[in-house]
Amino acid sequence: MIVGKRERSRRAILRQSAAGFGLLGLQSLLAGAEGRAPHFAPKAKRIIFLFMHGGPSSIDTFDPKPRLVELHGKPVPFKRGLTFGEGAVRGLMKPLWEYKQHGQSGIPVSALFPHVAECVDDLCVLRSMVGDGVDHGAALLQLHTGVFQFKRPSMGSWILYGLGTENKNLPGFITIKPTLGHGGANNFAASFLPGEFQGTAIGNSGMKVEEIAKEPVPYLASKGLTAEHQRYELEMIQKMNRRHASSNDHDPELEARIGALELAFRMQVEAPEAFEVEKESDATKKLYGLDDETTRDFGWQCLLARRLSERGVRVVQASHSYKWDQHTELFKLHTKNAAEVDKPIAGLLKDLKARGLLKETLVIWGGEFGRTPWAQGADGRDHNPYGYTMWMAGAGVKPGFIYGSTDEFGYHAAENRMHIHDLHATLLRLMGIDHLRLTHRSAGRDFRLTDVAGTVHEGIFA
Amino acid sequence: MRSVVLFGLVCAGIATAADTAEHFEKRVRPLFAAKCQQCHGAKMQMGGVNLATGAGVDGARVLEALQYGGKYKMPPAGKLEAGEISAVRAWVEGGASWPNVITKRESGITAADRNHWAFRPVTKPAVPEGASANPIDRFLAQRLQDKGLQPAPRAERLKLLRRATLDLTGLPPTVEEIRSFEADQSPTAFAKVVDRLLASPRYGERWGRHWLDVARLADSTGMDEDNLYPHAWRYRDYVIASFNNDVPYDRFIREQIAGDLLPAASKAERARNLTATGFLALGPRPLAQQDRLQAVYDIIDEQIDTTSKAFLGLTLSCARCHDHKFDPLLTADYYAMAGIFANTTQFRNHGRPGSIGFMYYAPVDEDARARYELHRNRMYAKMLEMEDAYAEDFGRDEAPYRSGLALTLESAWRNIHEGAGPPAGVDGKHLDHWVKFLRNADEKARAGYLKEWLNASPATIHAVAQAYQKRYEDEIKKWDQAMENWRRNMAREILQDRTLPVKPTPNKDESALLAAVRFNGGPMDIPESPRVTYLRQEYERLKETLPPEPELISAVAEGPAVEQRVFLRGQLGNPGPIVPRRFPLVLAGEEQKAITKGSGRLELAGWLASAENPLTARVMVNRIWQGHFGEGLVRTSHNWGRMGEKPTHPELLDFLASRFVEDGWSVKRLHRLILLSEAYQRSASASKELREADPENRLLSRYPRQRMSIEQLRDSLLASDGSLDETMGGTLLAETKGKRQKADPEEIRRRTVYLPVRRGSIPNLLGIFDFGDATTSSGGRSRTNVAPQALFLLNSQFVLDRAMGLARQVLKESTISDGQKVESLYLRVLTRRPAPSEIDEGLSYVQRLQTALGGEQAKEKAWQSLCHTLLAANEFLFVD
Repeated sequence: MIVGKRERSRRAILRQSAAGFGLLGLQSLLAGAEGRAPHFAPKAKRIIFLFMHGGPSSIDTFDPKPRLVELHGKPVPFKRGLTFGEGAVRGLMKPLWEYKQHGQSGIPVSALFPHVAECVDDLCVLRSMVGDGVDHGAALLQLHTGVFQFKRPSMGSWILYGLGTENKNLPGFITIKPTLGHGGANNFAASFLPGEFQGTAIGNSGMKVEEIAKEPVPYLASKGLTAEHQRYELEMIQKMNRRHASSNDHDPELEARIGALELAFRMQVEAPEAFEVEKESDATKKLYGLDDETTRDFGWQCLLARRLSERGVRVVQASHSYKWDQHTELFKLHTKNAAEVDKPIAGLLKDLKARGLLKETLVIWGGEFGRTPWAQGADGRDHNPYGYTMWMAGAGVKPGFIYGSTDEFGYHAAENRMHIHDLHATLLRLMGIDHLRLTHRSAGRDFRLTDVAGTVHEGIFA
Repeated sequence: MRSVVLFGLVCAGIATAADTAEHFEKRVRPLFAAKCQQCHGAKMQMGGVNLATGAGVDGARVLEALQYGGKYKMPPAGKLEAGEISAVRAWVEGGASWPNVITKRESGITAADRNHWAFRPVTKPAVPEGASANPIDRFLAQRLQDKGLQPAPRAERLKLLRRATLDLTGLPPTVEEIRSFEADQSPTAFAKVVDRLLASPRYGERWGRHWLDVARLADSTGMDEDNLYPHAWRYRDYVIASFNNDVPYDRFIREQIAGDLLPAASKAERARNLTATGFLALGPRPLAQQDRLQAVYDIIDEQIDTTSKAFLGLTLSCARCHDHKFDPLLTADYYAMAGIFANTTQFRNHGRPGSIGFMYYAPVDEDARARYELHRNRMYAKMLEMEDAYAEDFGRDEAPYRSGLALTLESAWRNIHEGAGPPAGVDGKHLDHWVKFLRNADEKARAGYLKEWLNASPATIHAVAQAYQKRYEDEIKKWDQAMENWRRNMAREILQDRTLPVKPTPNKDESALLAAVRFNGGPMDIPESPRVTYLRQEYERLKETLPPEPELISAVAEGPAVEQRVFLRGQLGNPGPIVPRRFPLVLAGEEQKAITKGSGRLELAGWLASAENPLTARVMVNRIWQGHFGEGLVRTSHNWGRMGEKPTHPELLDFLASRFVEDGWSVKRLHRLILLSEAYQRSASASKELREADPENRLLSRYPRQRMSIEQLRDSLLASDGSLDETMGGTLLAETKGKRQKADPEEIRRRTVYLPVRRGSIPNLLGIFDFGDATTSSGGRSRTNVAPQALFLLNSQFVLDRAMGLARQVLKESTISDGQKVESLYLRVLTRRPAPSEIDEGLSYVQRLQTALGGEQAKEKAWQSLCHTLLAANEFLFVD
């Protein structure tokens, strides 16, 4: 009897039934998504992007400015660019945290990130980031898609489009707890690229991780049907479908959909395991701070990111959503924010390294912009896209290295200016893709992630 | 600085064979310019070769000449450097393509430009001879014959019924409709079905949706802030009603571009015309853009983009920074159109970016709105009068208390600690009030602003009391200033109908003393005078009688006169010459009268909605064709320029366009013509041979099988178990809880077209099934077949609920056998009767499952499962 034997695992059923379904359709479905040859030998296979939504202050984290200490409280001695909040501009404000040099490399890290500081010899600190968006919406869209005037494919979609997926049973581009604001889903959309390259959202910024863990991918879990019951149904559906396809001369579109059903069933069996963060050892959970209320949320995200990444998900993004926007109360809230992410980030870096995954995984950290060297109100900083810090770690980049600089006030990028287009070009190059050749035709012209700009910064390559 | 970067990006992203083009621009073109163009350029084209434009250029021959390898040795003055020659060789080996990436059209508009097929006037080709009754089929026959192809036969009757019903109404036929069609064996049976479907209100819900894709309608601003558009639903309802009423397409255009300027016979017509301009008003808008002018011109750009794509099938917005790189559309054309929208009020001119107050709204009923505003302004005037009177009273009555505060506080202390009575100059009642207040002070007050007073000693109390007076005076001075500012701002904002400033409240942290003693009957509070009480009552009376705010429409209106300049390279900080308002030269000619009065939208509407415009009718009939056949006769429905595709059947396209105009721009007549063609009624089951001979169905050799749109799918699922709520119109936004929440498509039972669409968070279900982004005008949706769609059909509660509902319905029919139940299911879900083997299969499926499940609900669950298999099957999901 087919139904009712609950003890048989879903995996066993999958193995048994894999040959029974229309694999022909599966092949044609997947043909587009796998095995594309890169343009260069890739230095990195996968990306994990740790996105600090709101805009962490570079001056207070990774880019110390002694000059600001000297001139603390003095009027702003340079011309200010277009700024978000014109009101409440006060004098210059020194970094609010002490800096210390760490590791062999001696890279300075402020007291905000004591755990990340332990990993500093793995970091490649980019101190000269530049963007064009002064408000959050524009800045998020540019960081994620290259432009903010139009809806364009996201960075993750482009990468997936260029390289295909490594795991046929999981989406190739996953974003954990993305924000619904500031461009929302446009930040992981495929836009005019085929829908299969769209980012798959795991929950959203408004949800608690416990809630997300219940159904991480929409419709992934069957509602109340046993695996056997489901398989019984699926066999009937596929029988009808195959009959329908054969009476229609095996229309490829119908075959493709037979394949999609097959893949759906496989995902349903395989994917839940990837999300079982709870199965990790206590030591690992502790490493990421899952045992502490403060760090649990982002720790869960980082640990899930590692699980997905090691299963071949090409691009994973974890978001610390809209926390870092301190126009006021910078000291209090940056302290709180850093406490929530510091240990999880360090945990991820250490864990990836211990597992040998850091060699092929590129970790990126940063926000949509930095913050101004002058104070806004009593103790706040305004948005600053003209010169700020992001960092990378792992596959393909120089470890324990500082790249670029800002001016003496930390306002404008000075040396090795890295515009977001350059960041994208460089990232694609690390993944083995020539950003000039990764194009897609839409509405009569070819588009690329870097639009008409982008310079590869080889200076950061290991 | 910012705009430079910003506009460099807008349209310049031509990366066509990126490296080749770039190589050509960097290495080859400059070389030709420097070394060759003297003889092979604009002035002279020796040998017919022009190395400025690429005319007459054969790459191999150029290379041969440069290598001094053949008859010609070029340049004659001396062979080029080896590096230069190898640069040309690389270009030749790369295909020697001549990239047309010019930024300025040196020649302006040429005769060849005007002669582009889509820019030529629409002709009315004679209908070819042929056996078919429908002219469409006679136009199609030729190319099929040329290929020696026998098109697919006529579809089975019930398949045709299902196809037409889903196509025209977005829903499957009901069992009654199936039966009545089966009963009608007359030759006009199908024509009657088409007429019935076109008359159904469900028709507008389906075909209005096609237009809403073109009009990129959504219920929020998208982009950065994604604020709600609370009135966007009116435009949606307007579109649905327009399709249902078969409003002539030329009028439909006029209403959307210039509805506010059209005469109206009634208030209702006026409201309808205004609503139509939502086409311009409801696009994505960058509300957080701090550069106000930039925001305005980005909005105008979006309007140019949507308008030119929707009505003309052209990408005019590509000419914002430079002349269009492929089409004869000049930057001057762009700014001539921008001038029209710049003279249009897009937003309240007193609004501020960063708020939804930026939006312009028109009243549904102008008189009611005027009455409302008059009443509201009186109410506010009364309130301000009351506030002024109170401030005056307060200033007068509180002054002695304020100047004597130190003495009062000292006396109160001495009274409490030493039992002393009131000294001369202190009002006894006032002192009593203070003493009582101080005695009753709570812990927080004692630990807070009263601490110094409590800790005072006989020696210090005098100084402490003095300090309190100083503190109070400082705090109340600030407060009085804040209140005065507020009253002044209120007066100004009320007059300008802006968002009103919030009335200040005392700050309990910064002005703790003031907050405690000055208000709510505190010792420094002053009771309201009869005069103030009277004014308050007057104000409250007006407030109570204020009618509810009359409803509003997202619309546009005529704006202040602006002389539009070209912005060089698209940069606002880089103004060029003034351009008069007019239409693109290549289409409307060089001899246009510049628009000098009004915005020019009325003229624009007239020019677009004209039979003489070569694009308008063609573009629309192509859209209708695409709606029926999945692809248009021109497959790039949004690009009719040089980079677009040519029509598969140009004569048919022109025939339909001219017929459309002759038929009074009636969309329904066009539907009827198409649906009654043989081409529409062909079977979708193409033989492999036919599929190979006509792989993309460009010859219309068969009906193209199409996966249901999300609207067809979701609505058909709801219809399958009778849970569809057919209520029309209105908004479901009220059902969206909170700012970022969305109405759940799996909870709501209304048709999908009525679901609110937030650009920043398109419901997942819609996204999975290629709904699109509602952000740019869509020329057609993609139709993917991906695993997440399958997961929805397999696992969603929504689908399982439909399956259960369906199972219960057939189980209720107690008079029929189980076999007939299976038959009933096939009829409801798949619009056909099952083969006997399928009945057996279904019955055995149910029986085995029922046995295996056991228990009370086994029967219902087994039937639910069978229903589920039908709803998840390809035969249901695809329209054949």
